[in-house]
Amino acid sequence: MKYLLLFCVLFSSCEKATEYNSSPRDNFEALWRIMDENYCFFTFKDVDWDDVHERYDRLVGDTMNQYELFDILGKMLAEVKDGHTNLISSFDMSRYWAWYEDYPTNFYKEIQDNYLGTDYKIAGGMKYKRLADDKIGYVYYGSFSNSVGENNLDYMLTHFKDCKGLIFDVRDNGGGSMLYSDRIASRFLEERILTGYTQYKKGNGHDDFTEPNPVYLSPSDRIRWLRPVIVLTNRHSYSATNDFVNVMRLLPQVIVMGDRTGGGSGLPFSSELPNGWSVRFSACPVLDVNRQHTEFGIDPDTTVAITREDIMKGQDTIIEAAIELLLMNKSTPIVALQGT
Amino acid sequence: MKYSFLVFCTLFLLGRVSLMAQSGENEALCSVNGSTMIGIGGYNLRDTYLSPGTDINYTGWVARILNERMRVVRLADYNVSRQQLINVEFGSTRNAAGVASEYAGFLDYSLGYHYRFLQVLPGLKVLTGASARLSGGFIYNTRNSNNPVSGKADFDLNLSVMAIHNFEIKDFPLTFRYQAEMPFAGVFFSVHKGEPYYFLTQGSKNGIVRFGSFHNKFVMRNYFTLDVPMSDFTFRVGYLNNMYRTDVNHIKTHVLSNSFMVGVVKEFVSFSGKRLKRNVHRYRSGYY
Repeated sequence: MKYLLLFCVLFSSCEKATEYNSSPRDNFEALWRIMDENYCFFTFKDVDWDDVHERYDRLVGDTMNQYELFDILGKMLAEVKDGHTNLISSFDMSRYWAWYEDYPTNFYKEIQDNYLGTDYKIAGGMKYKRLADDKIGYVYYGSFSNSVGENNLDYMLTHFKDCKGLIFDVRDNGGGSMLYSDRIASRFLEERILTGYTQYKKGNGHDDFTEPNPVYLSPSDRIRWLRPVIVLTNRHSYSATNDFVNVMRLLPQVIVMGDRTGGGSGLPFSSELPNGWSVRFSACPVLDVNRQHTEFGIDPDTTVAITREDIMKGQDTIIEAAIELLLMNKSTPIVALQGT
Repeated sequence: MKYSFLVFCTLFLLGRVSLMAQSGENEALCSVNGSTMIGIGGYNLRDTYLSPGTDINYTGWVARILNERMRVVRLADYNVSRQQLINVEFGSTRNAAGVASEYAGFLDYSLGYHYRFLQVLPGLKVLTGASARLSGGFIYNTRNSNNPVSGKADFDLNLSVMAIHNFEIKDFPLTFRYQAEMPFAGVFFSVHKGEPYYFLTQGSKNGIVRFGSFHNKFVMRNYFTLDVPMSDFTFRVGYLNNMYRTDVNHIKTHVLSNSFMVGVVKEFVSFSGKRLKRNVHRYRSGYY
């Protein structure tokens, strides 16, 4: 028996681990520490996280049930005002969505249907159609989580080969994969460009970041579009969409039109609490070419809002303004479709 | 300097292989002990890249296939044996709350040479030597956002010791083996704490390949087997304990497993390839 005991001691794990624990206070402390060591925007947003601990510590009671605890912890996370920060349990997900809920919608699917009709084409996650007597191409990409392949982009751009300009609509696009953001943006590049910088936290301090690492994007070697482009945005253009706009606004043939984007420039990471709840938080800032955060959004070149009168008429003010601007453009593009 | 040392050791091991390739006809007399075993057991995972700021363990099961080949080679007047191990494992685990899953898979190959001390005690052989191991794998958390996977790739040089004891119980021949293996130097891959793999595609690759030794890595494999001959077959039952712990780039990882193994052993003489052509008069092939 003593040999069996020795055997078990020798070959078993003897590290201290966090066991399952439903204690409200322990889970509060775990969440506070995870954020304290890993969240990336405390300084930028001027959030005093120690003060947050002090205020919420008073609200946590040892006898509170899991729903009460979830509400308090969710409110604590909302202090950082971050759409990428959530607490996720089996019964609820806390969120901070004021970055678009507090602003005009500037996008109505019912009105967009008046432009797309029912005979639009679908390639990957993109819906597309020629508008204004086939002079303008219109693409709606509603989520960077929906895949877009290189062939999808080839066919879509070829469909618009006789168009004068292109509207790329990313309103209400809440983000997804930055790979698709890069893939699409590379179709509008004439040369390799610096698009921004990335950082991640190398330590647990609030400002323990690595040096900004420059990020470059090269033009696609397939079909590219170098004629005028108008990118439509609203407050719900978030995360990977914000990154897409951040690249597109650097290009000379591109105008960003609509409302300010929602932001969300921190790549989210996940961790978990001892009671099993998952927490998501911004961990790695993506900076623009001037090394500035775009966490609170990117202003459009031309601000346009959908008017009440246009809503009554079933018109999308922003699409109409984009069409008008592209049709006014009399300059002949230097290079049309590259790679055809 | 560290890497030069590793390269030297690797070349040394590979050099042994080329020496063997030149071995003469005596090699045909050295049979191969080959076994294939399947195992199942417990798995314990922790990776702070997947759960930053905390130290949550995931526990569950692991299934593995282990193929082993061992033979005496002509080195040191046939006092050295070569061992090759191929291990494939896959495990499924849950966190303590039972609401999240992590899966892990690893593939590794090791090549070792042991000097054989025969008859240390009656029926007991002791083998000591070194091995090189190449392994790769992943731990995947099903609910994470930009940190869903922790990739692993390791190249290790190991110290290895083995004891093989042949004995009988009521005239029934049995063979017990214990082997311990532990790396002392190597290189391995690790991203940094908080660094998305997406950044690697953008050229951020500093410090992702690290020299590994006892200061940042503790790995040990303990392997017990018992060979039981039955009729024309030899069955092998075993227990494999694997401990893999690293602490690098502010990421702590452990992969712990205990597996009970069962399989069959073959003792055979390999004369395929050119050896078959040279000794065609000594063997009667049903194929060639």
